[in-house]
Amino acid sequence: MTTPPALRWRAALLSALLFALLIGIWQLATSGAPPAAAKPMTAEEIEYAKLLGKDPAAGGEGAKSGFPTPAQFALGALKHLGQPFYDNGPNDKGIGLQLAYSLGRVGLGFALAALVAVPLGFLIGMSPLVYRALDPFIQVLKPISPLAWMPLALYTIKDSSLSGIFVIFICSVWPMLLNTAFGVAGVRREWLNVAKTLEVRPLRKAFEVILPAAAPTILTGMRISMGIAWLVIVAAEMLVGGTGIGYFVWNEWNNLSLSNVLFAILMIGLVGMALDAAFGRLQKAVTYVD
Amino acid sequence: MTRHFDPYDADRPLTMRCTCGRDHSVAEHRAELDADSAAAVLRARSESADFEQYSREFVEASLMKALFPQDAVRRNFLRAVGRSTAMAAIASVLPIAPLQAMAEEKGALEKKDLKIGFIPITCATPLIMAHPLGFYSKQGLNVQVVKTAGWALIRDKMLNKEYDATHFLSPMPLAISLGAGSNPVPMHVATIQNTNGQAITLHVKHKDKRDPKDWKGFKFAVPFEYSMHNFLLRYYVAEHGLDPDKDIQIRVVPPPEMVANLRAGNIDGYLGPDPFNQRAVYEEVGFLHLLTKDLWNGHPCCAFGTSAEFIKHNPNTFAALYRAVLTAAAMARQAKNRELIAKVIAPQAYLNQPETVVAQVLTGKFADGLGKVQNVPDRADFDPIPWQSMAVWILTQMKRWGYVKGDVNYAQIAEQVFLLTDAKKTMKELGMTPPEGAYPKFTIMGKVFDPAKPEPYLAGFAIKRT
Amino acid sequence: MSTEPPFLQVEGLAKSYSGAAEPVFDGVNFGIAKGEFVCIIGHSGCGKTTILNALAGLEQASAGHVFMDGREVAGPSLERGVVFQGHALMPWLTVRKNIAFAVRSKWPDWTAAQVDAQVEKYVALVGLGHAIDKKPAQLSGGMKQRVGIARAFAIEPKMLLLDEPFGALDALTRGTIQDELLRICAETHQTVFMITHDVDEAILLADTVLLMSNGPRARVAEIVRNPLPRARQRATLHHEPLFYAVRNHLVDFLVSRSKTLAHGQAPTHPPEVRPGLDPEPAQPAGPTHGTLHRVA
Repeated sequence: MTTPPALRWRAALLSALLFALLIGIWQLATSGAPPAAAKPMTAEEIEYAKLLGKDPAAGGEGAKSGFPTPAQFALGALKHLGQPFYDNGPNDKGIGLQLAYSLGRVGLGFALAALVAVPLGFLIGMSPLVYRALDPFIQVLKPISPLAWMPLALYTIKDSSLSGIFVIFICSVWPMLLNTAFGVAGVRREWLNVAKTLEVRPLRKAFEVILPAAAPTILTGMRISMGIAWLVIVAAEMLVGGTGIGYFVWNEWNNLSLSNVLFAILMIGLVGMALDAAFGRLQKAVTYVD
Repeated sequence: MTRHFDPYDADRPLTMRCTCGRDHSVAEHRAELDADSAAAVLRARSESADFEQYSREFVEASLMKALFPQDAVRRNFLRAVGRSTAMAAIASVLPIAPLQAMAEEKGALEKKDLKIGFIPITCATPLIMAHPLGFYSKQGLNVQVVKTAGWALIRDKMLNKEYDATHFLSPMPLAISLGAGSNPVPMHVATIQNTNGQAITLHVKHKDKRDPKDWKGFKFAVPFEYSMHNFLLRYYVAEHGLDPDKDIQIRVVPPPEMVANLRAGNIDGYLGPDPFNQRAVYEEVGFLHLLTKDLWNGHPCCAFGTSAEFIKHNPNTFAALYRAVLTAAAMARQAKNRELIAKVIAPQAYLNQPETVVAQVLTGKFADGLGKVQNVPDRADFDPIPWQSMAVWILTQMKRWGYVKGDVNYAQIAEQVFLLTDAKKTMKELGMTPPEGAYPKFTIMGKVFDPAKPEPYLAGFAIKRT
Repeated sequence: MSTEPPFLQVEGLAKSYSGAAEPVFDGVNFGIAKGEFVCIIGHSGCGKTTILNALAGLEQASAGHVFMDGREVAGPSLERGVVFQGHALMPWLTVRKNIAFAVRSKWPDWTAAQVDAQVEKYVALVGLGHAIDKKPAQLSGGMKQRVGIARAFAIEPKMLLLDEPFGALDALTRGTIQDELLRICAETHQTVFMITHDVDEAILLADTVLLMSNGPRARVAEIVRNPLPRARQRATLHHEPLFYAVRNHLVDFLVSRSKTLAHGQAPTHPPEVRPGLDPEPAQPAGPTHGTLHRVA
């Protein structure tokens, strides 16, 4: 459905105004008190102030590593974006590389989950027996937070990167599984009857009738799974460390460098948005009007 | 100090950007230059004849300590025979020269690419600084030092062999060997990396509550269950009449998160590693209540260790690693190097802290959070020789608080876990009889600990779990 | 009367559901000759759709047999094409691809060109050449139903089964499609079995009308042979002299006799009737055995 141009312009204007308002509030909140008039300080006080990283000329006041102003944030962000792929050893890599690591883990975990969830979902959707047999397991495992799996994974898999991928797998699998089962079970009887009267064999039926019929629902499941996976990888990497955007956040947090933490958060949001949009496109491609 | 901008200099162009041409500010240029140049200076120093002499003497002194753990015995011996006789006598008994040479000897390395884990705290300084200063590569090793998110992960990655060697908390190898909290896998401590270097930090709002008796109901944080921090904190509050399990709360918080938790008010204080004590002062949320050096001067803190299996399969590699860390420790001991070391290990790839915070910890000239600038040069020290008696003390405390149950053969375990330098082993190989038994006594908060009599020591405490 | 068995033979078909006291229908017997167009009329609940599903192989009857061309019908087959009540087109495929799906099911070894040719032939037959690459969402109800018919015809089945195919359409569209169906069947000499509620439609399209009594225990009560000449046209149908005789007969049945013959009162071997040519029966016929009533 295309939005009429007038509506789009007005929405864009409103968004821009809201953005400016937010930046304005941010600036006000972080500008802090103006520096007091420099009062005379003893030599020890001057030295003390310097040790605390303050400028004695400003009377020993002033914010240090607190919440950054929009300008400071922008500067820091530009610096990161300027060298996104630098590699300074295992503990210090550019933002581009870190995002690539995270995306790689998510991609692998998600792909594995899809490979398991879609066929199994088909099975469950087509066979009430299998559905009933597997349902108790699914209901118990589904609500377990993926991060609760982490210690178990680390213990048995013994490799932190593989454990991260396992955690992504275990959290992406459920929405895809259930949506696939739901989509497959909900395929219209009459299409199945058409296939029957045309003597369509089971494999062909699965690919040419059931799959396209269930595709919108399956893709909805995938879109949800991807959103969850991206959420989880950040948390998992904060726990496990090493590489990835989650590790980047943790590393900057160690240094209480809020500016960098904010930047990382912004990147996480933008990448998540891009992923969701990509899946939205895919969804559109398989949707049909009934 | 040269000015960054000089508008009155007719000969210099007035650029707001750095004159080197790269796109960063002048301050950043200086910082970078400083870290690189600091590393260069330190490297040069490590290769100077002066340092090599120092390092040799360091080895000798360490071996002497191993020979004569009782300092009084050593001094009596020296007084009895005089210095030059002593040197000759010892040289005739102990092959000092071959031992020195062995410390410098290089066998063929079994494994060159190594991963060493560390937590970004100043305790790991020798291990960390060996990387940018090239001590590992000089031994022919290609080492990656990997920053790790917490002690539990360090343990897991050692157990699953992702790391070849690692920064440990001193009690950890003991705990892992005993199987407390994980599968029992024999771990060995090769060197103690540092002594002292910790502090009890409290939130600024508790400025008036300096007496521990006022701490009922407080929430404290320590880095890990099996840590000197936990044992020292428990010891300290117990001596002031508080039961650490009933009157206060002790939680485990990874060191990097301690300052944030303090600021948020989740904890009232912590006994933690630097630089996070100094960082709390820097952030103006905390003050230094007590340096651990005033609890037990010379207590071990962190260690550098690996699994028994690694040592067995890669003895030459292990020796090379040991030498690298030993050289770093020797360098770190010298006060003149401390400021430069701070520059080298502060950047993002290592500690990722503001340089001034690290410098204050290492040089001992620091702001204490209460308005005073203090000068305590041995606030943190680096002493690589593990002491058996330290292990025995740790074991008594583990038993005291119920982390280890049942009877413990203190001497045997301590000896096993705390590898003395290869001196002892090598001495045996050379057909000598190394001195056994005598472990030094030491004083903790005014109470004398005799490692030969651990059980009575343990029984003497009013507050305990056993 | 030929003595060879009819093309499609239904013998003793019955359907009961567990828990019900009486079967929905039982003792259903009838035959369909090759090239014949048969309509079945009856009130709701008498089991017409069930009979069609049984013929299609989509449902199993509780008792009885269906034979087509000498072989028993055991399940669905490409030899029996079905046009469903809702068009049952796959909404993610275009008209072309929907029909091609069926064509490829019947002739999996055909080349793309052959499949295309077949598709286009039958799309032209139903007059939808201009819409061949549209998706069902872009078609009207009548167009969709025509596609369903084209799909069923395209596999050239031995027999066509239609389940109230025009029930969902408005009167005008229905009329147009009825004309087309008539034309197509005249061209192709297709054997057809169709369910309908519309008496006029039956008279227009069918050579034989099966009248079903009401359930439970519904039966085919009468086999009505259409006395009107074959080349019928909707526009002139009501001018045929025997039209009202047939129509009245059918309506009378539906209004009164279908009810009275419920509960198994109808004969298992229904009589053949030619309204307008034969005098109307005075009272409901008792059980007979397939003999023809021929009263001069």
